[in-house]
Amino acid sequence: MEPTATFFSGFQLNDLWFLAQAAWRTLVISVLSISVGTLLGIIFGWMLYEGKLWATLTLAPILDAFRSVPLLIQLVLFFNFAPIIGLNLDPFMSGLVILSIYCAALVANVARGGMQAVELSMRRAARSLGMSYWQDLRYVVLPIGGRAVFPSWVGVALGVMKDSALVSVLGYVELLRASQILTTRTQEPLLILAIVGLFYFALSYPVSRYAASLEKRWAS
Amino acid sequence: MKKTLLTAVSAALVSATLGAPAIADTLDDVIDRGVLRCGVVLDFPPIGFRDADNQPAGFDVDYCADLAAALDVDHEILELTWAERLPVIVTGRADVVFGATSDTLERARTVGFTIPYAIYYAQGVVGADSGIETFEDIRGKRVAAAVGTVPEQEWLKIAAEWGEEDLYQGYQSENEVFLAVAQGRADIGITTNTAVLPITQQYDNIIAGPRMPWTTDYTSVVADRKDVSWLNYLNLFVTHQVRSGRYQELWGEYVGGEAPELRIPGVLY
Amino acid sequence: MFDYNFHWRPVFRSLPDLIGAGLTTLEVAVLSMIIGTLIGLGLALIRMNMRGPAYWFATTWVELARNTPALLQLFFFGFGLGAVGILLSPYTIVLAALSFNCAGYLAENFRGGFQAIPDTQLRAARSMGMTNWQAYTRIIIPQVFRIVYHPLTNQMVWAVLMSSLGMLVGFRELSGETQALASRTFRIFEYFAVTAIIYYVIVKIILGASRLLAARLFRY
Repeated sequence: MEPTATFFSGFQLNDLWFLAQAAWRTLVISVLSISVGTLLGIIFGWMLYEGKLWATLTLAPILDAFRSVPLLIQLVLFFNFAPIIGLNLDPFMSGLVILSIYCAALVANVARGGMQAVELSMRRAARSLGMSYWQDLRYVVLPIGGRAVFPSWVGVALGVMKDSALVSVLGYVELLRASQILTTRTQEPLLILAIVGLFYFALSYPVSRYAASLEKRWAS
Repeated sequence: MKKTLLTAVSAALVSATLGAPAIADTLDDVIDRGVLRCGVVLDFPPIGFRDADNQPAGFDVDYCADLAAALDVDHEILELTWAERLPVIVTGRADVVFGATSDTLERARTVGFTIPYAIYYAQGVVGADSGIETFEDIRGKRVAAAVGTVPEQEWLKIAAEWGEEDLYQGYQSENEVFLAVAQGRADIGITTNTAVLPITQQYDNIIAGPRMPWTTDYTSVVADRKDVSWLNYLNLFVTHQVRSGRYQELWGEYVGGEAPELRIPGVLY
Repeated sequence: MFDYNFHWRPVFRSLPDLIGAGLTTLEVAVLSMIIGTLIGLGLALIRMNMRGPAYWFATTWVELARNTPALLQLFFFGFGLGAVGILLSPYTIVLAALSFNCAGYLAENFRGGFQAIPDTQLRAARSMGMTNWQAYTRIIIPQVFRIVYHPLTNQMVWAVLMSSLGMLVGFRELSGETQALASRTFRIFEYFAVTAIIYYVIVKIILGASRLLAARLFRY
């Protein structure tokens, strides 16, 4: 006797909608983790820049570890470790936490580089004009250093956006996971990979072009 | 002293994040929470798959819904890979796993099993021109299976005897195994008898292959090893599914034909 | 919730397997870097000196490699190409995807390196009677190499980290081996924790070796 359920069906129009929703989730987790990661990264970068000795001894090795272990391993480790210490995080939260820290570890280096790019004489001049330490950071270091490292930051941010694809291994249905689900059902890997590749490309390419053009304009 | 402090801290942490008591009683937890968290493998048609609207469906998914209905709670499907079925219980991310999990003694050291809720046997799907008809024909052929499954482990034992471990390929999902056979990357994919019919219908170039020589796969519902009252409840649920005819109904819908007898000949379970 | 018992014994017993897989990781990363460097150099030269189809081919390669997730590229070389009948072994899939990716990123680094060297040097070399080939191989490329040495080292680290994705296409490098072992004993956290440390050590060895090499190469 034949079963009554059907298991496979071809690629349909509403699958594009399914992919679009997944692309939205990729965007959400990327934007959130890049925002949190950048904020943390700037603070860490500032700590590395200012609190030289203790930061070099404590913060630097930790951040270094996040840069020296594959993101995939970090995700798997954290996802399996969090419940052990009693944190019940769903794939989205686990992914968000790790992506944010990973992003912060990369941004910290960029941010420190930006602060080092501002000449000390300039900062002394700012302070001698009567600016407070924070005013100096806000009105001198941020615009000058920020400009110097903005392209690197865009590179990091786009990297995190693309790396968010790895959260798929935890079961968060973002763009890549959605493509796997559709491949399972429709058995058309090439078509679906091409569509998904195009999605990522459309997210990443314009931003990288824009950053490159800004860099060129600032350089001249 | 230290231990009570730790317990207190953990209780605070847990209740802050979960709102659940720290003592493991899954049955109460589920009822209090109002949601049953079910781990299911969704690339295993017809037992677990996604339907045309990309929603979870299949024998295991319906079993999960039935259990939730019996408890009068909602259910939430956690999609798992094969290798994740046990860790998800160990780390407490799921209350129960319906995932065609064979009740091996090795696994039983880590998680708790109910009485069998479905029975399978391992069978190959082979490329139409692979020339594999009997089990012996597999010598020298490229074999694929999903990582973290019993077929994988059983096969690796045979492959070791034959000295053909190099010809084995492990994939993340059952679907990738089928794709590998369809694309000619592997000559035979080891799966379960239930998947053979849908897969051979889906692909023109895949045909049913030989049955594998190892024993019948008694698969059980997986839950926390230490939570015996929860395991008792699940055992009762499995028997009720059979007594009410629901087992036969779902088997007929997804697999087709008579549902296999769940009793194991010659033993008291 | 604190009742998780750590079991380290199986992990330590399979430590030799893990270290062996670590060597596979290193091997595939080094090979893909060599291939990626050669192709990347070629792509950079094509983009700077040619027009027409060759230029567009090189540009498409670079932009695709840089603007889509590495994992997607890996899937493309695996099941994507498989769908049109091109079958690669898991080893070749990882090697091809990594080389493709590295070539794209390195091409941009090389382009930046070439642009940093004034045109006059090439003309000076030519006017001294060198052929174009001699001028490039003896004057320009050594200098470019010096400029891109640091990015090259970074890319090498990336290649090691990226190779962990091999796990998802059935390749038994360090991550794949770890997953295979962990799925047998279900000690995911313990296994991946040890693997994380092995990755960290590999990355540190690469960075250390790179520093030593730099000290020898760039003495002048």
